[in-house]
Amino acid sequence: MPAIEWIRFGLVVFFILFGLSIFFLEIFGVYRFKFVLNRMQIAATGDTLGIGLCLVGLMIANGWNAATAKMALVIVFLWCASPVSSHVIARLEYTTDETLMENCRIVTIEEAEAEGETENGDI
Amino acid sequence: MSKIRKQSEYEKTFAYRFFRWLGGEKDIFVGNMEMQPQKEYVEEEATIEERMKDRQQAMAEVYDGSHNMELRFFKILYKIFSVVFCIAIMAVLILTVSYLPEVGDPNRPTSNIVTETYISDGLGDTGAVNIVTGMILSYRAFDTFGETNVLFIATCCVMIMLMVDEDKIKKNKDSNDRGFEPKNDVILQVIAKFLVPIVFLFGIYIILNGHLSPGGGFSGGAMIGAGMILYVAAFGFDKTEKFFNEHVYKVIKVTALLCYGCIVTYYFLTGANGLECLILLGEPGKILSGGITLPINIFVGSEVACTMYAFYALFRRGGL
Amino acid sequence: MEIFNVILLAFLVICAVSVSFSKNLLNSVLIFMSYSLIMSIIWMLLESPDLAITEAAVGAGVTSILFFVTLKKIHALQSEQQEEERFDEQN
Repeated sequence: MPAIEWIRFGLVVFFILFGLSIFFLEIFGVYRFKFVLNRMQIAATGDTLGIGLCLVGLMIANGWNAATAKMALVIVFLWCASPVSSHVIARLEYTTDETLMENCRIVTIEEAEAEGETENGDI
Repeated sequence: MSKIRKQSEYEKTFAYRFFRWLGGEKDIFVGNMEMQPQKEYVEEEATIEERMKDRQQAMAEVYDGSHNMELRFFKILYKIFSVVFCIAIMAVLILTVSYLPEVGDPNRPTSNIVTETYISDGLGDTGAVNIVTGMILSYRAFDTFGETNVLFIATCCVMIMLMVDEDKIKKNKDSNDRGFEPKNDVILQVIAKFLVPIVFLFGIYIILNGHLSPGGGFSGGAMIGAGMILYVAAFGFDKTEKFFNEHVYKVIKVTALLCYGCIVTYYFLTGANGLECLILLGEPGKILSGGITLPINIFVGSEVACTMYAFYALFRRGGL
Repeated sequence: MEIFNVILLAFLVICAVSVSFSKNLLNSVLIFMSYSLIMSIIWMLLESPDLAITEAAVGAGVTSILFFVTLKKIHALQSEQQEEERFDEQN
């Protein structure tokens, strides 16, 4: 069935190119941004979304077998591990950096609930 | 305590002194040897200045530094020759590498009868589907035994250098080491609770499946050690002390090394040359096969996991 | 595949040189970590997955953690300002 094969090829190309473009943004951002938390955020985005999309593309290309299941487990592992590592970095930055207030606004959970927004809310 | 002799007689024998030393009741150096803490080496500023002045005087008077053309010429020549020497060595090395046979070339000198024998007879002799593990754990089992001993001796040396008394550990538990680190981070703890069993399970899978798929004791043990380090980073040393303290560490480490040595010696004495052996090879491809490869993988794995965790704990706080 | 190999080997040489030329010890450890990762991919391409697994677990994971702990132990990760603060706190 060539039509389905063509659709599959298109999906693979779409996912892998999307993932690679996010990788490019990650590398660009890590060198471009001056502030630590911005760099942390763009690196975490690349680590979760970029790798996830690339692996989804590879899974579609691979078809149904054991290697696909292993790739799905790798995605689950990365989505658990990578955000937590960025959370630890952000928390370390919050506890050590004294000039953090100059660069961003820190919102505690109670204040955020009161205002109804959660942006900029580390810890 | 002896039942045959009297206590006063027994105290004079060598055995009494040896067991007392072994049990750590008396340090033989205390009282017999003068012991002082090492002093820090401090140099006074006057001596430093004097030394520099001497050096300048020697350069000016003996060698006539500012007018000596020979000396200046020699310095320039020295720089040029050092650069030329480095470039020459690099050129020789790169030239040698370019003459080496390519990877996978069938005509290269290393693909001789040894390699052919390993590939053709490996499955029949060792019973392991993964030829690499079968080779390093049964043909060259004593070689790997030496490597495991290296790990053992390395942890012993680190313990000699970095081990601190238990009282001191308890005293400055919370003082300087984890100063800025996030303690009792809830997000990290929840994820560690979820991830650590998966990491352990994958390490155990790699160890137990070492004779069937890529992997083996070293890689699986390193993975289990990394999982334990993650657990310590999330929950602190109080929780790990409950299941992995110094006593457990000693027992696992020594037992693994001794069992490995016994199995290898027995195998080399009986099973290696087609003689009868208690450890059966089994059916290739099954999980219970591979002769001595499976138990040796387990022992090497526990040894490596203990080494990794012990290094981390000793570097971190000076005790297990 | 030939081009991919050449790119990886070039990265390996760049990493090895920049480890020794880096002024900051922390950067050196991070570059050494990436060296180990590239090395594990090369082992994979040379068809020895056993070594690739060991290199990724030991070289990139445990060795760099030990380096970090050592640097922390000898107070090489702190800046001078923090050092003074510690000194003030103790007295």
